[in-house]
Amino acid sequence: MPKITIDGNELEVAEGRTILQALDDAGLLMNGIDIPHYCWHPKLPVDGSCRLCQVEVEGIPKLQIACDTPVRDGMVVHTQNERVKQAREGVMELLLVNHPLDCPICDQAGECKLQDYTYDYGVQASRSKEPRRALKKNVDLGPTIVFDQERCILCRRCVRFCREIPKTGELAIFNRGDHSVIETFPGTPLDNPYSMNVADICPVGALTTKDFRFKIRVWFLEDVPGICTGCSNGCNIHLGVANNKVYRYVPRRNDAVNDTWICDAGRMSYRRIGAPDRLRECAVRDESGRLEPVGLDRAIEVAASRLRRLVDSKGPGVIAGLASAHATNEDLFTFRRFLAALGSETHGVAVVRGEADDLLIKEEKAPNAVGARELGFGDARTVVDRIGSGGVDAVIALGNDALQEGLLGSEEPLANLDTVIVLDTHASELQRVAHVIVPVRHAAEKLGTFVNAARRVQRVVPAVESVWETYSDGEVIAKLGAALGLEGFDGSYDARQVARDLAAANPAFAGIDLDSVGDAGRPLADSAASKAER
Amino acid sequence: MVISDETRSKIDEAISKYPVKRGALLPAVHLVQADHGHVSKECAVELAEIFEILPIQVMEVVTFYNMFFDSPQAKHHVYVCTNLPCSLRGSRSLLSQLESHLGVTAPGETADGRIFLGHEECLGACGYAPMMRVDDEYHEDLDVEKAKRILDSLGK
Repeated sequence: MPKITIDGNELEVAEGRTILQALDDAGLLMNGIDIPHYCWHPKLPVDGSCRLCQVEVEGIPKLQIACDTPVRDGMVVHTQNERVKQAREGVMELLLVNHPLDCPICDQAGECKLQDYTYDYGVQASRSKEPRRALKKNVDLGPTIVFDQERCILCRRCVRFCREIPKTGELAIFNRGDHSVIETFPGTPLDNPYSMNVADICPVGALTTKDFRFKIRVWFLEDVPGICTGCSNGCNIHLGVANNKVYRYVPRRNDAVNDTWICDAGRMSYRRIGAPDRLRECAVRDESGRLEPVGLDRAIEVAASRLRRLVDSKGPGVIAGLASAHATNEDLFTFRRFLAALGSETHGVAVVRGEADDLLIKEEKAPNAVGARELGFGDARTVVDRIGSGGVDAVIALGNDALQEGLLGSEEPLANLDTVIVLDTHASELQRVAHVIVPVRHAAEKLGTFVNAARRVQRVVPAVESVWETYSDGEVIAKLGAALGLEGFDGSYDARQVARDLAAANPAFAGIDLDSVGDAGRPLADSAASKAER
Repeated sequence: MVISDETRSKIDEAISKYPVKRGALLPAVHLVQADHGHVSKECAVELAEIFEILPIQVMEVVTFYNMFFDSPQAKHHVYVCTNLPCSLRGSRSLLSQLESHLGVTAPGETADGRIFLGHEECLGACGYAPMMRVDDEYHEDLDVEKAKRILDSLGK
């Protein structure tokens, strides 16, 4: 492996990498060794057009662009000397010649590479007195993106993204030289399932998403690491949080999961967190058949007495559990333990399925289908069949995924059951047949882990707190277990402790707890369940 | 189909001369423009099919080069060279007099769509300055009267 020296630090790097790639591999780029860059992106082909990453390589007379200069053994690179500094200032000055400098009204301000690098590497005053290029503003590129031609620095990241990642190629550079502009083909808008990523990779404020623009200044946002819950890929994200509200999801780099991308559907799923149809209060059905709002204690009391009556009269076999693939492993482990302590053997997990592609979007539209199966929840079909054959009198449902066609189809099959207990984040038709309803937390509101389709355990942490009372599914189940006097339930629920218990009980999770899993996640060990699945 | 069978066979012939199909895109764009006067969106779509690329990639090429047009053009293109040697020989005044003769501001097109008048940087005929290009022909050693006569003789 070639050894190179960068600013006096010796580094061993893989053969055939460029200087920027080698630094990126080593985790040093802009994190110890600063080489500013616009056009280079770790997940896109090299372009070499912005010229900002010039560095001095001993033995080569001219400065070289670090993005396209392969490393070789013994190479000595200087990234911070006077010559390099002057070259950067020159490039920055040229890039700024036609830039509108409209930062006060630009959405990118605060996370703009042109701003950052001007502070870090640019000159403080402009020497140009000539009028700046007047180009198209507020160009509607497609359903998701708005384009400002004047702010564009022509790094071509968006062009390369569309060609290389979704492979739809909607964008191109038209004209040449100082007439160059980004355009779409007439009548072919920028419209693909990953289109909004172009706003993330745009180093300036040229491409912004219609959804987020003008919503909030980014410096008010706190980036909370989390996981997208749109499908079982579990793309790593940052939740942009301010005022106890999630304003956006942006992808968080994880080369083992989603590189630096996220699909548009997943990105927009943040809207589910504060959606108007969130369940906001516990309710129990009174004798007249109406749902009456109650506190959690009363809801637990009613649920426990209904279940107790059934267990006493017919035995625990008539109670079925429908697990949710939106619940965390800790919730599901608690639910599984509850069902076992109760003596119920009828349980399964319902997972909504949809379109998939070979990039990020997976067929199972929930974050934790693999985790649920790993914890012993089988196909929800067995539960539904048992309900159909009359062998079930009570259902405890986490979530409403079972309503989908192909399983329950509607709430109707549950209408004549003795007891339906629903723990859910959002309103659904299940409310119509439920006897007890408890609002539970969205993934953005709780601590726990999911297992993605590639069997990677990933963590969510509370990013916001709902303004109404909500509870983790596990917390509700733990209280219900205590109310029923089940063995091993004292009514308390601590996700960290549950994760440790889970790791002790299930060899696949051995050594994984809510701290060791980290922000990047950890692969699950192979287990009997996973081998059987394959 | 907007590209004629005849042009298509010429494009196929051009493709056979290149090791990579896409190498023949420039000659093909020339052929299409010779037929239509410009490369329309429809032509770009058909060229993209022939070359197995995206229509927008055809438009990248069309918009990159000054001699290709993506919209309907005047019947004749007139470019007066205004680079240094021609300027020294009076081409700037020539251009402004041609502007008033035609009633246009360069770069611009006469109202009847007969002539587009523009200026050009060095056409490599400095020895015969001032000069202008009319479509594919050079007219050299110009004076204002000669240039006006040439423009007046251009048909609709």
